[in-house]
Amino acid sequence: MDRYQYLILMGLCVAITLPLEVLFRARVWRRPRRLLLALTPAMAIFVAWDLWATASGTWGFSDDYTIGVDLPGGMAVEELVFFTVIPVCGLLTLETVRRILRVWDATSGPTTERLAATARRTFAGDLPGRATADDGSGDAATDTTPQEAR
Amino acid sequence: MPPIYPTLAVLAAVGVLLLELRVLRTGIFRDRAYWISMAICYAFMIPVDGWLTKHSAPIVIYRPEDTSGIYPIWDIPLEEYAYAFAMLTVVMLVWDHLGRRGVDPSPWEAVPVEADR
Repeated sequence: MDRYQYLILMGLCVAITLPLEVLFRARVWRRPRRLLLALTPAMAIFVAWDLWATASGTWGFSDDYTIGVDLPGGMAVEELVFFTVIPVCGLLTLETVRRILRVWDATSGPTTERLAATARRTFAGDLPGRATADDGSGDAATDTTPQEAR
Repeated sequence: MPPIYPTLAVLAAVGVLLLELRVLRTGIFRDRAYWISMAICYAFMIPVDGWLTKHSAPIVIYRPEDTSGIYPIWDIPLEEYAYAFAMLTVVMLVWDHLGRRGVDPSPWEAVPVEADR
């Protein structure tokens, strides 16, 4: 089991952020084209760096806690998972924070009431400035409401 | 010669800053959602990266002379925070750039943005 430590850690990162996709409707995993395009440049740069750093000995990977599948130079294959999972965690956070702030900014009143209203409306997918609640169908481009800058 | 890992990590962070400020200009550094998100990501980085780098049973092992040797929290090298900034920010930047270009935009992105700036 110990050899799966790195992979288990990555699995935990996916699991702990999955509610952002499912409950908060961040819609990162559900936009695979945009996600793939966003990940690709970072993947190219950081994998190249990783291959070089591993080959030159700047860093290496424990044989005890990785499954032992190496890329040329000794880079653990888990690193490829890392360069996917961690950026996805970041994007899920970013999209969730934006979604919550958008609802928060549209509420008023005492803080506790705003918090409750924000939570309720966020989970309900009720995004201010849209004619209809986000049903996850992904045709957000049809929104014609003028939006303020961020 | 300064150690190689902190040198490259700082170069990567500066490169990402320049990419936003000189090339993509998405405005992400003026977006409070970005800063809140980065604070959250750094908070979660501590247990995750802390587990990866802990000296008692490391998953990732650094050659000591290639790092700064500065460990502000647990055994996470200082330059790892610059590395994290570069990796997370460049992905968010490209993500935002794509949204502004109409690639699967979020609801709040579905407008011509140049007029807002």
